[in-house]
Amino acid sequence: MSVLVIIDQAPYGSWRGRESLDMALSLAAFDQPASLLFTGPGVNWLRAGQEPAGLSQKAVERNVSAAPIFGIEELLVDRQSLAKYQLEPSALIAGTSTVDYTPELLANYYHVVCL
Amino acid sequence: MKTLHIVNKSPDQARFGRCLAALEASDQLLLTENAVIALADAGIVLPSENYALAADLEARGLAGRPTTTVIDYPGMVRLTADADRIICW
Amino acid sequence: MHSQTAFTLVITGAPYSTQAPQTALAFAKAALAQGYSIDRVFLYGDGVHLSSALAAPPSDETNWPKAWAEFLQGNDIPAVACIASALRRGILNNEEQARYQRNASNIIEPFELLGLGEWVESIASTSKTLYFHGDH
Repeated sequence: MSVLVIIDQAPYGSWRGRESLDMALSLAAFDQPASLLFTGPGVNWLRAGQEPAGLSQKAVERNVSAAPIFGIEELLVDRQSLAKYQLEPSALIAGTSTVDYTPELLANYYHVVCL
Repeated sequence: MKTLHIVNKSPDQARFGRCLAALEASDQLLLTENAVIALADAGIVLPSENYALAADLEARGLAGRPTTTVIDYPGMVRLTADADRIICW
Repeated sequence: MHSQTAFTLVITGAPYSTQAPQTALAFAKAALAQGYSIDRVFLYGDGVHLSSALAAPPSDETNWPKAWAEFLQGNDIPAVACIASALRRGILNNEEQARYQRNASNIIEPFELLGLGEWVESIASTSKTLYFHGDH
């Protein structure tokens, strides 16, 4: 059983997603199994081709792509939210799994964090 | 696994809907802070086993709502202590 | 009593922007009154503003950093502000003031600046972790 960190905020306009990602990475760093679920506007974290240089922020795309290397078990993305934001699974950064946001999905995790 | 969902967001916020969508039939819902105004929202259907914090209801002029179980902070402690899992939305 | 159950409280909502520190304090007092223990209070994100000693609200309003500090000290509860969240938002202890050569430090005792590892430890323990978020 592992921890699920939910990101439901769009990137760049708020710091909450970054701080959620930091939590997931910390769990992984201490060998606690952790997964990320992107839902709602949060699926925009996964859109390929982000260029935030004009905002003087680092691209979150790179952080998410690197997450599995740092031990994050799964990068899950909510199917319905992908449709809502007109994202084809093929337009996402590599390594994500599309899932349905249901109580059954959340039941797989003993701890759920949603900042 | 009995999950207690604690939500503090106004019902118009997307997070409130995400909380409701995560509820299983056997789960409990506790409304705190601005979430208690959901009890006055004609467009929201809450699960039958729902609780709301007395202080938050009273502060917002919503004391005496019949569609919720009103609890105080000690009651919130008991609910959380009894839950197998707690999700704070 | 219920000595087997312990809570970890994570506060992510800031005082005077959200109700989170108030709800969390009411919960914490009720938990202790019923014989439960609180392993740790962890401030994260905007929640770190609760550890500012410099908050100066009007005298007829509660000083939430002070109210929390008194509660934590009175009950010997370990209190941590996430160091990464805190430094970004200008919450410093003496050590970080010296390291970053700032002209003041402002963290209120008994809060300490430590990493997310403290939170991970709570997740990995039998402690029940509750989050007190903002309303957004």
